[in-house]
Amino acid sequence: MNAQLVLYLASVSGAIALWLLMPRGRALPWWRSGLAAMIGVGALGAAWVAVGVRWWGEVDRVASDIGLLGAGYYYVFSGVAILSAVRVITHTKPVYSALWFVMVVVASSGLLVSLAAEFMAFAMLIIYGGAILVTYMFVIMLASQSSPEDVIEEQPEYDRASTEPVWAVVAGFVLLAALLSVGFDAPTANVKASAEEQEMSDAVLIETRLAGRLVVTEEDAARQALSSTPEVDATALSNSERLGMDLFEGHPLAIELAGVILLVALIGAVVIAKTKVPEEIARNAAFRGATPGAGGATVRPTEEAGPDSPEVLGSTRG
Amino acid sequence: MQDTMINSLTFSHYFFTGAVLFVLGMIGFITRRNMIVMFLCTEMMFQGVVVTLAAAAALHGNITGQTFIIFVLTIAAAEAALALGLVILLFRRRQTLDAGAWSELSG
Amino acid sequence: MSPEVAAYIPWVSGLSAVICGLFCLYPQYAKFAAGVCASAVGVGFVIAMGVWFSVPAEGFVNPEPLMRWIEVGRLEANYGVYLDGLTMIMLSVVTGIGMLVVIYAAGYMRGDPGYARFFAAVSIFIFAMTTVVMADNLVLLFLGWEGVGLASYLLIGHEYHRQAAVNAAKKAFIVNRIGDFGVLLGMFCIFDVFGTVRFEGFLPAASELLTGGNGSGLTGEAAVAFAQATEVLKQGGGWLLMAAPFGLMVGAFGKSAQLPLFVWLPDAMEGPTPVSALIHAATMVTSGVYVIARTMPLFELSPYALPTVAVIAGATAILGACIALAQYDLKRVFAYSTVSQLGYMFMGVAALSSTAGVFHLVSHAFFKALLFLTAGSVMHALAGQLDIRKISGLRHKMPVTFVLMGIGCAALAGLPVLTAGFWSKDLVLATTFDRAIATEGGTAFIYLMVGIVGVVTAFVTGYYCFRVWFRVFFGEERYEMGDHHHGGDDGHGDDHGEHGHAHEPHEMDWGMNGPLVVLAIGSVFAGLLLGPTHVVEHLIDKTSAEANALRVGDDATKYEKWVHNLMYAVSAVVAFASLALAFVLHGPWRKVEGDDPVRLKAPRVFGALNSKLWIDEVYAALIVYPVRVMGSVFYVVDAVIVDTVVRGIGVVPRLLGEGARPAQSGRLHGYGLGMALGVAAVVAVTFYAMNRGG
Repeated sequence: MNAQLVLYLASVSGAIALWLLMPRGRALPWWRSGLAAMIGVGALGAAWVAVGVRWWGEVDRVASDIGLLGAGYYYVFSGVAILSAVRVITHTKPVYSALWFVMVVVASSGLLVSLAAEFMAFAMLIIYGGAILVTYMFVIMLASQSSPEDVIEEQPEYDRASTEPVWAVVAGFVLLAALLSVGFDAPTANVKASAEEQEMSDAVLIETRLAGRLVVTEEDAARQALSSTPEVDATALSNSERLGMDLFEGHPLAIELAGVILLVALIGAVVIAKTKVPEEIARNAAFRGATPGAGGATVRPTEEAGPDSPEVLGSTRG
Repeated sequence: MQDTMINSLTFSHYFFTGAVLFVLGMIGFITRRNMIVMFLCTEMMFQGVVVTLAAAAALHGNITGQTFIIFVLTIAAAEAALALGLVILLFRRRQTLDAGAWSELSG
Repeated sequence: MSPEVAAYIPWVSGLSAVICGLFCLYPQYAKFAAGVCASAVGVGFVIAMGVWFSVPAEGFVNPEPLMRWIEVGRLEANYGVYLDGLTMIMLSVVTGIGMLVVIYAAGYMRGDPGYARFFAAVSIFIFAMTTVVMADNLVLLFLGWEGVGLASYLLIGHEYHRQAAVNAAKKAFIVNRIGDFGVLLGMFCIFDVFGTVRFEGFLPAASELLTGGNGSGLTGEAAVAFAQATEVLKQGGGWLLMAAPFGLMVGAFGKSAQLPLFVWLPDAMEGPTPVSALIHAATMVTSGVYVIARTMPLFELSPYALPTVAVIAGATAILGACIALAQYDLKRVFAYSTVSQLGYMFMGVAALSSTAGVFHLVSHAFFKALLFLTAGSVMHALAGQLDIRKISGLRHKMPVTFVLMGIGCAALAGLPVLTAGFWSKDLVLATTFDRAIATEGGTAFIYLMVGIVGVVTAFVTGYYCFRVWFRVFFGEERYEMGDHHHGGDDGHGDDHGEHGHAHEPHEMDWGMNGPLVVLAIGSVFAGLLLGPTHVVEHLIDKTSAEANALRVGDDATKYEKWVHNLMYAVSAVVAFASLALAFVLHGPWRKVEGDDPVRLKAPRVFGALNSKLWIDEVYAALIVYPVRVMGSVFYVVDAVIVDTVVRGIGVVPRLLGEGARPAQSGRLHGYGLGMALGVAAVVAVTFYAMNRGG
């Protein structure tokens, strides 16, 4: 059977599974979730097999002879990332979506480790899983509506129902199928490098660069003399060291620009946060006007109208 | 040890994972109505890109792919700050996170 | 003085118009407007006089355009002057009479809220009128032609708060549009035939065509125009040459109030009296005569043009005179008299005698301006009263006006020997009969009939003008004040203005009577000076019809002495007869007071004439009403058919928009989905193509 056809079938199956899992404003029946899980897992497995078969013996491998355990890392992390991602977009509670997203970040960090990108893996964990996701959690907390105590807490409608599930799934998986079909052919023409060649090329790169830099000026020479490690062993460099060298040697302007972008985003966030909101001002004014009324008693929301109703507030004031 | 289908990994494996993450993020952005979750989905699209970038770096034997991840993180952080600020602002005006509440542009 | 200096005459008045216009914005200076305007017109008069004797007999044309204006393809219409005897006579009349009228108006209009505006418009008029008579091409002439129309409109509607004045202004403007259309058509024909609109180009060429020459005597532009005209005639373009004078004729009839376009002129008396005197009697309305006299060779080329003019002129003369004799309104009498006298002028030019037409133009300018201004004085004194049934025996109250109007009436009636009207009218009639003798068959009959009509008209004219004079100044002293201040009298600061209606009529001061005296002297002596001495004739014979007639070779029949002598006798008899009739019916010992004896004897005829033969009503029924109905029909057609079609077309984009509207749902997800679908489609198509190619 043609691997490409299998991949297309897997895309269609995955699309059906995802469509079955989309929230529809009510609890999904158990058979539906089960059916979706079976189809989804089947599609994922079929896709993996198709990818592996199609690539069997090809030369674009990124990790050879890594053993079952080494390959297992990929399958485990990849599976976790994909399944967690499905839960992120199907869970009706934003908090759980965010938590599942943490799982996605953790899994993709694992994938990065298996690609020998340790520094970025940990940076991702710290920045995404730590900083950004915590910020998200804060926002979710801040923006959750305070519901009266006697109302049974329920997710709002906009969290329980999805929009345009069919078309979104169709668009997504058409895109996926197209991307994967190009993945079959394009890399064969690219540079092929084994692990040794890869290290060699990096070593040559760094040696030539550093050597060039080191002898350019007397100042450089003096700095080198002061340095405790005058000879750079490129092959012995860690991932972080190589990354740092590439970053600061190769992309100094880009990193400056990144700093500027962060600064601008910071200022922008402050401005946005301090913006006065007319509705809120009106609400606050109404609320302040209401509190001293009715003999100083705390205004209780009545059964008919909520606390935000200006009519109720006006009448109690009188 | 002889390379087998199981014990060797290709770029396409990682590309597959990255593409799936990207597409799932995109689908989530379209289907979810909660603005916070929508932005969460865009972060997931970044995840797909990150995985693909790392795989490409390994494929080409070039560290630059990993360097780009740093910039992706930078943009993601900036976007998160601004987007969440906007979400809070919009929430303060309408007391809802429903993106459908903001449809004044309708023709 | 070099002839080019004449080019400054319009611009002096133009400057005056600007200054007076500024005075409108700064009312505290408005009192200087009359002085500015009078000085400007006076300077123009002085320049005209100074230039007079330096203009060569064959005419003067500035060699280079003084100012470039329109140069499109072969069409060259630049600013330049064309000076000859005819132009100089017109210039002198326009600036001279204009100056006198402005001086009179300085007193007459005092206290008018639109004082500066009035003199600004008069300055515009002088600017445009001098442009008309000095233009060296038809396009520039047309510019001035429209300019005098504009000034006329502004001045008729000077009291824009009165509905009657506004209606009269609109009527004058719209009727003149018809004539202007004719001028345009004539201009197009001339350009088509001769390839030029410059007088020095097409006039000599037309004369050459008339005399049947081969163009060898022509030089420069005229030779080119002649060559082109010959070519056009060979190719069957003769009808253009025949049509051109008819186009100009329509324009002349419109501007000079001839049948059937005369209806606007009587209504134009809604304007202040000085305007009636200057524009609607002395100058603007004669521009039609000027245009025909100027382009006379063209009219001679067409065998039907001049007889047509003669018939129209005769009909207008008798019609205007008859209507005038049954009017009670002082100014209306003179308005219809103007229509009638303009008929005389056209009679003159139609009889191939520019001399007669222009001579009558000059003398008429004097005595009709005088009559209008004295009528204005009466009106001024009586707080707007113009009904001659309610005025009687004013000769003791207003002795100077009494004498001046008498002189004007005598000139209009053509009392023998002394008055200008006698000489000019005789010349017109005599040349008409001359023409009848010189031609044969139908044309001769036409000219004979027109001449007889002219004599009858002379009798009617004498009767109606003395009727007015006797009614107003003789008999029992009796008058009713006007119930409203007429003309520019509203709110003026004179003594009688302050005392309301209870004041006595009084004589005008000499600031206003002075110009009238000058006009009266002109009315008397202009005829003697210009008539028997043949001054006018000598002045314009180089460029006038007589010159062509001489060249054609029928000079033997011109100036038959006995015709003129007979005419003098007949005119004298007719004038005295009319005076006698008026004396009997309306003289100091008249039997009927406060009404017209003719009305009592023949009420139907008098009523018909008093109602102006219902011409306005006929026009309303024949033209205005059908146009109105047509407009209603078109409106319905427009509303039902055109609008439906247009709206139907308009529905299409709306439907398209309705179809595309859901795309702009305003929902974020809709946009996101659209983008995702687009990306997916583009990527899929691209990679499909790549895979197939690979």
